[in-house]
Amino acid sequence: MSHSYQAVGWNRQKKIYDLVILIGVFLYIGIFMGIGSTLFPNATAETLMIRAFGTGAFVLLHIILLIGPLSRRFPSLFPLLYNRRHLGVTMFLMALVHGAFSIIQFHAFGDLNPIISVFVSNGEYNSLTQFPFQALGFLALMILFVMAATSHDFWLANLTAPVWKALHMLVYVAYALICIHVVLGVFQSGVSSVYHAMLGVGFAMIVGSHIIAGLQEKEKDKELNSDKNEEGYIKVCKVSEIPEKCAHIATLTGERVAVFNFDGKIAALSNVCQHQNGPLGEGKIVDGYVTCPWHGFQYRPEDGASPEPFTEKVPTFKVKVIDDVVWVHPTPNPPGTHQEPVVVEKK
Amino acid sequence: MKWVSVLLLILISSFSFLMISNEKEFDNSTFEFGEYCTYEGIIMENPYPRILIERPGDTGSLPKYSQYYLTQFGKFGGGEMVKGLDGKKVSLEGALIYRDDQTMIEIKNNSVNHDHTSENERVFNFDSALPKKSLGIHTLKGEIVDSKCFYGVMNPGNLKVHKACAINCIRGGMPPVFVVKDQQGNIGYYLLQDEEGGAVNKNILDKIAEPLEIKGEVVKQGNILILKANPTSYRNI
Repeated sequence: MSHSYQAVGWNRQKKIYDLVILIGVFLYIGIFMGIGSTLFPNATAETLMIRAFGTGAFVLLHIILLIGPLSRRFPSLFPLLYNRRHLGVTMFLMALVHGAFSIIQFHAFGDLNPIISVFVSNGEYNSLTQFPFQALGFLALMILFVMAATSHDFWLANLTAPVWKALHMLVYVAYALICIHVVLGVFQSGVSSVYHAMLGVGFAMIVGSHIIAGLQEKEKDKELNSDKNEEGYIKVCKVSEIPEKCAHIATLTGERVAVFNFDGKIAALSNVCQHQNGPLGEGKIVDGYVTCPWHGFQYRPEDGASPEPFTEKVPTFKVKVIDDVVWVHPTPNPPGTHQEPVVVEKK
Repeated sequence: MKWVSVLLLILISSFSFLMISNEKEFDNSTFEFGEYCTYEGIIMENPYPRILIERPGDTGSLPKYSQYYLTQFGKFGGGEMVKGLDGKKVSLEGALIYRDDQTMIEIKNNSVNHDHTSENERVFNFDSALPKKSLGIHTLKGEIVDSKCFYGVMNPGNLKVHKACAINCIRGGMPPVFVVKDQQGNIGYYLLQDEEGGAVNKNILDKIAEPLEIKGEVVKQGNILILKANPTSYRNI
């Protein structure tokens, strides 16, 4: 997990995942340039390359942004989520090729520094149709660079999770900048209406899937305060409503709690993984450990601690089961505190 | 896992084909990059550097001289390379750039040679070799491009995506050309000059790659059409 800071902790799944990414990138670029040079013999190789890498990176960015909300709806997509950062770094490298070739082509070999030229050659910042769209693309590329450079767990640990998370939420700013870069750039140069339609569909999918996921999260966050017993425990759900080795997520006094049912026992942990704030309650118990669906970080259900040598810990909660109903005390125990799971009859 | 991977790769391939097949047609223009030939002719320095190359034999209705705009590597006109050689005979090496009947040469570094013999020192009379003929006042609608990119170095070399590059090139001394398309897609090329026949580069940088209307005198000089107008009168449409 986060101790040795290997460049990539390779396993068979990651190797297959990265191989598919690599072959996919080569196929996309190869077909775009190969078919392009056949269909359009007058097109220059630089132009085809700029467009191949630009469109490829933009399509990949859409996929990356869709994986999160879609995997909440369709858990079978979790394997895509596990190594999303590999997709992100690949997308940045494709965007970098697009940006570098564009800057060399349109801004180098003149009387200005190419980077300065990006911002000042076309100074019509007060015009919508003539706006210097390259500046927006450059800013987006800088954001993607910072994200790719800090994608490793080393930075997550050193920047702290909240800072790291906030930094990586900038991907939405980058996406907005790129959309405007496309609309005020190539769309102003008479491209096929198919591209307009594709961007419209892509944008609608990103916005729509995030709104739906947000509404679902809001539903989960409905406070359970109505049924509170004299000891302060709050009624959560029936044992039978929690699938074996899975969890029921409830929001108690502002904090999401994951109540797990495993091997005839019930245990409650904070829903927030210490790695990237992933939703532990959407994961499963694997080999006796609560396993985060995002990147596989594991915690013992009894005390919320990661197995040695790892040191991550999440808070546990007191649980009672009365007449097949699970009650959880909303006050969290300090992270790593042993809380004996409640034994129930195994179904 | 295997079939999911294969399906993903088929989807990626199909999507790539969908993207490229919806590109619009690219115009026919050529840059013979790195293919240097030797050219001999007379330098015309102003307002934009050109080399006049005598056509061999009886030229019939064609002008006696063909004209090639001159540029150097990058986003610069060829002015520095032929400075002080106005009306002089030179030889130079360069790579050809052309589109329709418009031609340009990118001069190879240090390849311009001027033989200081008495015959070559004689200053050329442009007015008699390439007489100018006024075609009257016209109002034209089109777009300002930098001739180097539009004639072949870049494709496409016009419109919004190319705007910043065109500004860099024209600021660097590239001859600015007003391209006017008719309904059939045929292109008219008009070299832009001010009312006195001077270069306009520095005065049109905020008008490049935008739809414009220009009213001015059209003058024919050899195979080149010139549009003479005050840049402040250029009108956005």
